[in-house]
Amino acid sequence: MKQARVIGVGSHLPKNILTNKDIEEKCDTNDEWIQKRTGIKSRHIIEPGQGSSDLALPAAQEALEMAGITPEDVDIIVFCTITPDQLAPGSASILQGKLGASNAAAFDVNAACSGFVNGLAVADSLICAGKYKNVLLIGAEVQSNRMLWHNRDTAILFADGAGAMVLTASDSEEDEAGVLTTHLGSDGASYEILHLPRGGSREIFTMENFDEDGYKIHMNGTELFKRAVIKFVSVCQEALDATGLTMDDVDLFVPHQANKRIIEAAGQRMGIDPEKVALTIEYTGNTTAASIPIALDHAYKDGRVKKGDIILVAAFGAGLTWASAIIRW
Amino acid sequence: MFKSRITGTGMHLPEEVLTNADCEKLCDTNDEWIRKRTGIERRHMAPEGKGSADLAYHASKMALDNAGISAQDLDAIVFCTVTPDQFFPASGNILQGMLGCKHIPSFDVNAACSGYICGLATANAFIESGMYKTILLVGADVISKYMDWDYRDTSILFGDGAGATVIHAEKGDHGVKFIEMGTDGEHYGVLEMPGSGSRNPITPDNVNDHPYHILMDGQELFKRAVRKFTELGERALDETGLDVDDIKVFVPHQANARILEAACARLNMPLERTIININETGNTVAATIPMALHEAVIQGRLERGNHIMMGAYGAGLTWGGAIIKW
Repeated sequence: MKQARVIGVGSHLPKNILTNKDIEEKCDTNDEWIQKRTGIKSRHIIEPGQGSSDLALPAAQEALEMAGITPEDVDIIVFCTITPDQLAPGSASILQGKLGASNAAAFDVNAACSGFVNGLAVADSLICAGKYKNVLLIGAEVQSNRMLWHNRDTAILFADGAGAMVLTASDSEEDEAGVLTTHLGSDGASYEILHLPRGGSREIFTMENFDEDGYKIHMNGTELFKRAVIKFVSVCQEALDATGLTMDDVDLFVPHQANKRIIEAAGQRMGIDPEKVALTIEYTGNTTAASIPIALDHAYKDGRVKKGDIILVAAFGAGLTWASAIIRW
Repeated sequence: MFKSRITGTGMHLPEEVLTNADCEKLCDTNDEWIRKRTGIERRHMAPEGKGSADLAYHASKMALDNAGISAQDLDAIVFCTVTPDQFFPASGNILQGMLGCKHIPSFDVNAACSGYICGLATANAFIESGMYKTILLVGADVISKYMDWDYRDTSILFGDGAGATVIHAEKGDHGVKFIEMGTDGEHYGVLEMPGSGSRNPITPDNVNDHPYHILMDGQELFKRAVRKFTELGERALDETGLDVDDIKVFVPHQANARILEAACARLNMPLERTIININETGNTVAATIPMALHEAVIQGRLERGNHIMMGAYGAGLTWGGAIIKW
């Protein structure tokens, strides 16, 4: 059976920066409160008229260059997002056109904050089942253009960005590098802990019903925090158990960047050295499906990843969903 | 090696019907024109407040029942849709909760009209790689609410529905013998819904300015769809070493009866062996194929060992084809 090897990473943050100080002018909050609660100092936001595929494009090009393959070599694009450019088609198709990946099939995957790791499991299985060679995996979101500043609890959190990963099929006998395991889970019975109920097929926005709370995100922060910490620990343990590795074997922990306090609490319980944690939330905010590939790429660019390293990625978020994966670089 | 075996199918069409005569009251069209151009007579509409997961729930219960298993036996849900119930979370998660499954993976796949085939490729890869064993694959869309009656060319085409398929990992001669997905994103303008996304989100300023309109170059789409259906069908038969007469049932995406008739003619696929139910359902996007598959099953058309061919073409532009040994 084939193994999926990671041969390229890339990312892109739009150049506009929204600091906590800028936010103080938009709503009743302050820099100290935001940092204390979330760890966020600033975040990146798009120019009007940009969609998620526009951020994904430079990230994809970067990852392909590192991988040493051309867009025409890509067999499948898996685009993980909750913010596709338009209602139809999906952003994977739009990116495929912009990238010139003329031989690629393309589809979007949606599992909110766990989207990228769900996409990674999909990419891994498509490669392992032997049918596809090169997969371009994207996590990209544009969220800034629907933040409601009178709902400060959530408006301060979400931002824009894209990350990309190129995976290729390799014979597992020759090289141990690759995706060693993936673990996914969901608890849809608890979806109301973090959800945006409107703007979908249950209740589309119309002139009659679109009010200032149209994009309101409902979040039970306390419950979310509690469950996130518990689930981060358990889904990471599942991955370690499946590979026979321990936390000491992990060289880099790349968690979904939702809240610095969640990452610290989970990290502490798992006994991970803070030096081994990829942390970008201070300057990226929560970029949902993009957060993990951005954090991994930034860690790589900072020289924190070398051949043979064991990388543990983990996510938790809306769904409720959770996911983990272990990659040997 | 484990292979995919379809053990249960289900479908759900919501109760409320929109006939061609009803469409005549909403825009400048007529029953005869719609039937002649598309084959559509009726389409179904989800109730207020209900979305794709709500329809999928009923289709899924039917599929689980037919498979002789409970929701607790599932170990993954792949939900294909272009119209998730809410902005987030994914409809797959909502369905997982409604069905009372264990805390299994669930996520949405979006490839518009080719969504189910992409979902099938994903589910099949999960099974053949040994990752998961009992998968619920859903295709469900509630697109009627988005219809803009100032755009009559497209608003008459679509309806709501859900289809569900239970796929089990088993060793044997059955399984997905051919599957191919493709995209031509350079030409996505041939069929698109440009609004209501991250590039052009709904705001108080534009919510009243046709945010959901569909842009379609009907002629170009027709031409490309027939060509691709034919090409995919020929390649599928070629690579599996089968003849068109070996295909017991052709289960295609229901976009337009004329496209299907043209493609079947080119493939020498008799219409008697093709499921065409678009007259009753309209185009239900990702739900068309799993619903048509269920129809084939309840019509008693399939026996173990038979070959089924599937094909899809749509927005993206995307396409997909598959041959399954039942």
